[in-house]
Amino acid sequence: MPVQRLGWVAYRQRSFMAGMAPALMVLALITIAPAVYLVLTSLTPLNLTLPNTAWDFSNPAGNYIDLLEDPRFTRSVWVQVKLSVSTVILQLLVGLGVALLLNGGTRIRELARSGFLIPMVLPPIVVGILWKVMYAVDISPFHRFMAYIGLPVPSLITDPNWALFAIVIAETWEWFPFTMLMVLAALQMIPASPLEAARIDGANNWQIFRFVMFPYIQSTLVVAAIFRLIDSIKAFPLIFVLTDGGPGDVTEVTNYYAYRQAFTFSLWGYGSAIATLMVAGIFVLSWVIDRLTGAADAEAD
Amino acid sequence: MATARSRISRRQMLRVGAGSLFIPFSLNAGKAPAQGGKKPFEGVTLNISCWSATYPKLIADYLPEFTERTGIKVNYDTPGFPVYNQRADLELSTKGSGFDVLNVTFIYTSRWIGAGWLTPLDPYIKDANKTPADWDYADFLSGSLQPMKDKAGAVYGIPWISDVLMAASARFDIFKANGLGMPDSFDELDKAMQVVNKKEGVAGFSVENHWGWTFIPFLQGFGGNIFRNPPDDLMPTLDTPEVAAAAEYFAKLLNSYGPEAASGYTYDQVTEALRAGRVNFSPHNHAFCALMGQEGSKVTKTSNFAMIPKGPKGRFPGVASHGWGIPVGAKNKDASWEFIKWSMSKDFIARLTQKHGLGSVTRKSLINSDAYKQRMVINGVDTGKIFLDSIAMSEQGYMKYRTVHVYPQANAQINQAVSRVVSGQMKAKESFAMAQANTMADLKRAGVKF
Amino acid sequence: MQRQIEPQPAAPRARPGPASRYWFQRNRRWLGDMGTIALLLLVLFPFAWLVQMSFRPNKDILGYELLFEPTLAHYKALWTGAFPASFVNSTITSVSSTVLALVIGVPAAYALSRGGFRSSRRIALWILATRMAPPIAFTIPFFLAYRYLGLSDTLIGLIIVYLTFNLALVIWMMQPFFDGVPRELEEAAWIDGCGVWEAFWRVTLPLSAPGLAATAVICFILSWNDFFYALVLTRTNASTAPVAIVNFIQYTGWEWGRIAAAGTLVMLPVVIFSILVRNYLVRGLAAGGVKE
Repeated sequence: MPVQRLGWVAYRQRSFMAGMAPALMVLALITIAPAVYLVLTSLTPLNLTLPNTAWDFSNPAGNYIDLLEDPRFTRSVWVQVKLSVSTVILQLLVGLGVALLLNGGTRIRELARSGFLIPMVLPPIVVGILWKVMYAVDISPFHRFMAYIGLPVPSLITDPNWALFAIVIAETWEWFPFTMLMVLAALQMIPASPLEAARIDGANNWQIFRFVMFPYIQSTLVVAAIFRLIDSIKAFPLIFVLTDGGPGDVTEVTNYYAYRQAFTFSLWGYGSAIATLMVAGIFVLSWVIDRLTGAADAEAD
Repeated sequence: MATARSRISRRQMLRVGAGSLFIPFSLNAGKAPAQGGKKPFEGVTLNISCWSATYPKLIADYLPEFTERTGIKVNYDTPGFPVYNQRADLELSTKGSGFDVLNVTFIYTSRWIGAGWLTPLDPYIKDANKTPADWDYADFLSGSLQPMKDKAGAVYGIPWISDVLMAASARFDIFKANGLGMPDSFDELDKAMQVVNKKEGVAGFSVENHWGWTFIPFLQGFGGNIFRNPPDDLMPTLDTPEVAAAAEYFAKLLNSYGPEAASGYTYDQVTEALRAGRVNFSPHNHAFCALMGQEGSKVTKTSNFAMIPKGPKGRFPGVASHGWGIPVGAKNKDASWEFIKWSMSKDFIARLTQKHGLGSVTRKSLINSDAYKQRMVINGVDTGKIFLDSIAMSEQGYMKYRTVHVYPQANAQINQAVSRVVSGQMKAKESFAMAQANTMADLKRAGVKF
Repeated sequence: MQRQIEPQPAAPRARPGPASRYWFQRNRRWLGDMGTIALLLLVLFPFAWLVQMSFRPNKDILGYELLFEPTLAHYKALWTGAFPASFVNSTITSVSSTVLALVIGVPAAYALSRGGFRSSRRIALWILATRMAPPIAFTIPFFLAYRYLGLSDTLIGLIIVYLTFNLALVIWMMQPFFDGVPRELEEAAWIDGCGVWEAFWRVTLPLSAPGLAATAVICFILSWNDFFYALVLTRTNASTAPVAIVNFIQYTGWEWGRIAAAGTLVMLPVVIFSILVRNYLVRGLAAGGVKE
């Protein structure tokens, strides 16, 4: 009967709304409220040693103007770019390579897959400690081995030219399993017929990869790259343990600079401004990428 | 004595409620002492933290005694210097009750006292019920107490050390074998280093990488200063030619005469290296130098000590005091004060100097005692005298830069500036020009008007 | 008339080049396996090194000999001091946060799946956004707010903060599982007189149990591994295991054993759990972005 059915539909919709409501409220409370508070704080010169700075909106753009003129900030952005680009590219390459290797389909490789996961699931602080051991010249087996064979390598993390590179290596080690898993999943979804056809046609491995496999995994690579890019902006424990932003500020990425300003000197207003800019930057970046890949997807379809 | 729990606010109810859900707060605060055979503070737990200097590390072994005597359990934590400072500063800024006793670090004294984050201690000292007369507050060196006081003279910390930078040589026999004495000036130091470096596999020079502390005697020795006229005129003066010259000299010492990865050495590493005879000369804290004469040291018979070398513009041995303080938000200040009393009592400190060779103490009676004087003589050299002479020099006032409330920011900038010069990233002039600009920006943000 | 196609033996294709290349091609499988194992050993080397350090006696801690006398001294030493308490804290916060996220998030995921809301795309974007924001954007306001509310250094404070990523994760991960349960089953239950949520509880949930389990484990792993929030929002009472390890990091040679032991203990639960849910891991970590 139409009346009963209508009542049921309404009831059903209400039930679903009721199911969503708590989650929406909680999400709003813990994401929107802090975001608003963050932006508000960034408009004040909040400094906990000077209590009267708490709600001082007399100079709202003050922090932002300071930021634009702050060479340390611009430098941190540049360091961030260097770190993100290198580590994402490396993660993609290594992940792709290992995924191709593991695609072989033997039992051993299946089992090995779990082993390769380990770097990614370790608590990041433990990864930091691992690499601190690897990079500490008098402790590290790597350094001592190199010295043993007569090619001593000086300390990397105290060398301004190599410190960032050292972090890139550690970061790549930690996260390549992510891209590896994603690419592997995509590889295993490639239908068998094009592969067979190519093989029968006499294509060598490189050609098979380039012309048959690559188009299938292309979008996966892009998605993986986006995720790794966004995650690389959050890099913290590695820098905290390995270099503390140094030597000097060679490895001080924007995230770390914000941490220093807010949590080392209690300059909350300034730190908030940096954080706000970071969030805005990430949103813009994702929007741009979304547009680009959306357009590419539309073309591919 | 009014404690912090005279007003229960909603926040405190929430906190207690939340806390009691998960981790039982074992507080029995406010209990009357000595209730029929029970210990005065039975059931109380204190959270105490300090940076990992000799004295705080030694205390850890004696905590069971303290618990035995008073019933107070102690959660004790001694992280490295920079980690400790950052944590303590963050915690104090919340006026929270996470810690009951904290180290008042020298460079932060003005900041923490000025912001009202520490508890005034005079009421505890003057109250005869809380502090027996023989604890003898007057016994503390006035020079050590000075930074722990605010402008009005109220005291916020009980100093447990006066850190003094002095010159130490672990393998003075190498100096002697080459006809050299302890270098007294920067020039003599440079010449001596050229000669003794790498002799017998011992690196010439080493210094801990807290440049904001160890570089300053050189900076001032060349005629530079951090601020124009602290504490009134806080205009930074880091971009002067004197500072650049000092930085170049300092970097040369480290790079030409230092061991591998010299610029990464922390204070524990330098101490270990000296004790093992792996490095020769170091400007180092007296308290750590004293360990060169302690068991486990390989260089007791070959050490020598002197005051910090002087530069063209004079001698400026660094002097700094650290003390125990009570955060303003601590829950059981009486118990906190018990800890401070015990750990700074005459006989406890005397025991530490006797048994472990603890140096750089702040109690006049101890410094003048024969037993201490004897302990401080290492290989025939009276380090106690060097200590006192250096403190006497510091009364001229050149250390005022360090208790300025914005010095931590300048300290961080100096650390980075020297780091850049030592690692070869930048020339001294450039690096310190950058430090100057950054310091001015940091100071402005912290509310300093130029 | 049909021609009989006779089966022909597979002839080896003529390959140009030296015989060794032929050997490589023939044994590709086996070589690949060996290569995999070698690569795996190389990649896991730093990890293995840390674990073995945790068993080495102190005087030998930097040594190389493979046959050392394993000792449990470091683990025993960890048991005094604040480390066990931090381990307990980690467990409590991770479990509680996971449970809370599930309780709030699972109904929402179901509602999104079945409700046919027009704004579900916008909600998906919102979820993606929370995932993208750097933790510092949250820690500053939370730190200041907790200071006022008295939630600094409490476990509840951490649990609430962990919801910022766990809740979104639960919704993101569970929705496709619910999508995968055929509507007919639920509709049958509805016709039988079950309410919407009763049917959910009786029919849908049991069918999505594996997804639920995987989601729970991933939430647990992410909470357990967190470092930044715990570093900033806790001091002594509520500090979790990853933060407690930092206390050991000072350079005095003899602490390395304890650091290694602490690191090994802290990583153990997550490594075990991860291997159990490896198939769902990528999905969880990529929450919000993969276009199905």
